[in-house]
Amino acid sequence: MTTEAARRSRPPAVLALGQVRYQLVVLLRSPLGLFLSIVFPLLLLVCLQVVTPARPVGGLPYAQWLTPAMCAFCLLNACYMTVVIGIVLAREEGILKRLRGTPLPAWTYLAGRSGSAFVTSVIAFGVIIATGVAFFKVSMIWHALGYFGAAAFLGIVCFFLLGAAVTTVVPKSETALPIAFGTMLPLAFISGVFFAVNRPPVWLHDLAAAFPVAPITWAMEDSFKPGTHSWPMPVSGLLVVLGWSAAAIVVIALAFRWEPGPAPAARGLGRSRPWLKRWHRGS
Amino acid sequence: MGGSPASQPPAIVVDGLCKEYGRVRAVDGVSFQVRRGEIYALLGPNGAGKTSTVEILEGHRRRSGGSVRVLGFDPGAGDRRFRERVGIVLQSGGIDAELTVREMVSLYAGLYARPRDAAQTIEQVGLTAQRRAKARTLSGGQMRRLDLALALIGDPDVLFLDEPTTGFDPSARRDAWDMIAGLRRSGTTVLLTSHYLDEVQRLADRVGVMSHGHLLEESTPDALGGRDVSGTVISFRLPEQLRASEIPAGPWDRREDLPSEFTMHTDEPTRVLLALTQWAAGHGVELPGLTAVRPSLEDVYLRITGQAGVGAGDDH
Repeated sequence: MTTEAARRSRPPAVLALGQVRYQLVVLLRSPLGLFLSIVFPLLLLVCLQVVTPARPVGGLPYAQWLTPAMCAFCLLNACYMTVVIGIVLAREEGILKRLRGTPLPAWTYLAGRSGSAFVTSVIAFGVIIATGVAFFKVSMIWHALGYFGAAAFLGIVCFFLLGAAVTTVVPKSETALPIAFGTMLPLAFISGVFFAVNRPPVWLHDLAAAFPVAPITWAMEDSFKPGTHSWPMPVSGLLVVLGWSAAAIVVIALAFRWEPGPAPAARGLGRSRPWLKRWHRGS
Repeated sequence: MGGSPASQPPAIVVDGLCKEYGRVRAVDGVSFQVRRGEIYALLGPNGAGKTSTVEILEGHRRRSGGSVRVLGFDPGAGDRRFRERVGIVLQSGGIDAELTVREMVSLYAGLYARPRDAAQTIEQVGLTAQRRAKARTLSGGQMRRLDLALALIGDPDVLFLDEPTTGFDPSARRDAWDMIAGLRRSGTTVLLTSHYLDEVQRLADRVGVMSHGHLLEESTPDALGGRDVSGTVISFRLPEQLRASEIPAGPWDRREDLPSEFTMHTDEPTRVLLALTQWAAGHGVELPGLTAVRPSLEDVYLRITGQAGVGAGDDH
């Protein structure tokens, strides 16, 4: 038997760092995670550049626009797609339930996931930007690099939170990929991730601007224009990003679950939330 | 018994525990206590409420009523100090397929304040040869050993084992039993659920029989259902030298198809046997086929759970 004093729990920061390392190891060993986060955006960068080499965007060479756009695509993959799929798989395989039975505080698991998404994103940025500079004559806009970093950081936080929130409505492993792709791809298309949307209909522009992908992508793209000398995200865009992030935090706090299976409230998990129970039964 | 002083408070105290899922009462007023160092088994058919009870004690589920204390903590409060001191073996799953045995055990060691030595724990569960193997390459039995290693790595005072050998082949089951029996020597308190009678008989110091959310009976495996004293069946064949009318301690039942064979159900086997054997010895004869048999644990178990009207259903 052990006295309680002998069991002073490890500091949460140490546990969170351990989780980052763990998530990175798991990611490195999963072909899907690595492919989505780094290989896929790089592949797109090269392919899109090769098939549309001569078309300038906004008076700048195509690659100057494409490189930050592909960085935004990296963010969506590393911080949203991978997070949705990874968390749902871990939940359905009982990994989250097992971790929940240890002294690991709940938030350090999510901190580990987001830390790993951050590290992956930074590595992917490095690979993509280096490729753009080395092979496609992309110029670094050093005076706007801070804006690029700040916009990307907002993206990491917001997309990660949205990914973690979306897991609450994914009922099983098989639906994680379709739901993640089905929510991410349309937004990426209308938000100018894959091609510069030229004079879109007003409604399409407004629709894109109501979601956080567009303001972050546009700010990252603008940070690669030589003429950008001030923070490239309008206040309305920032509010959209922060609003979605806040909404995601609320959903995570209310409905994030650690146990496998589709109907948590009905199984008696968490606080009693009859409205949630009804909603889950209905879905 | 683990040899803990009787003055120590019980490791687990369950009082009037209830768990409802909608209108279904999976656990209905269950009370029991587990002493420190004891191996306590919850025995019952599927749907009896065993898993619900254990998961409430683990802190995985919230109770609907009653009170629960594990090492003095309310498991539902989610206190980290509580989770430092318990180990949980889930019914299945929860292992990263792409990590090796060694990595999994080290990862979990890193979560606890005062973990056991990883290599030693791997050795104890018999996975040293597989320590560099990825989890996805392990057999079912090896996976459960890894399961146990992960539950033990935090050096728990209380270990929860939910159906630890379900789906095992007989040799894997014996290995698991040896490992669990080994925990007794380290003084770990163990709460296990099972629907195998032989497992409970082999491992448990005490057993609680559950059915339909109720705890029907609590005793040692040997004494379950009064099995240690009641309902002993004594039988023998009457030798030709002796007369049926003189058999002592009657009345005896005579089998119609075998008129020389006599049997009796008794709650006083010692008294009956003494009278019977003295009588035979006094006449200088042996009683052929003399046996005194207790009902099997299975008989008793079926009788106990049968009284509660056992039905089929999923375990909660």
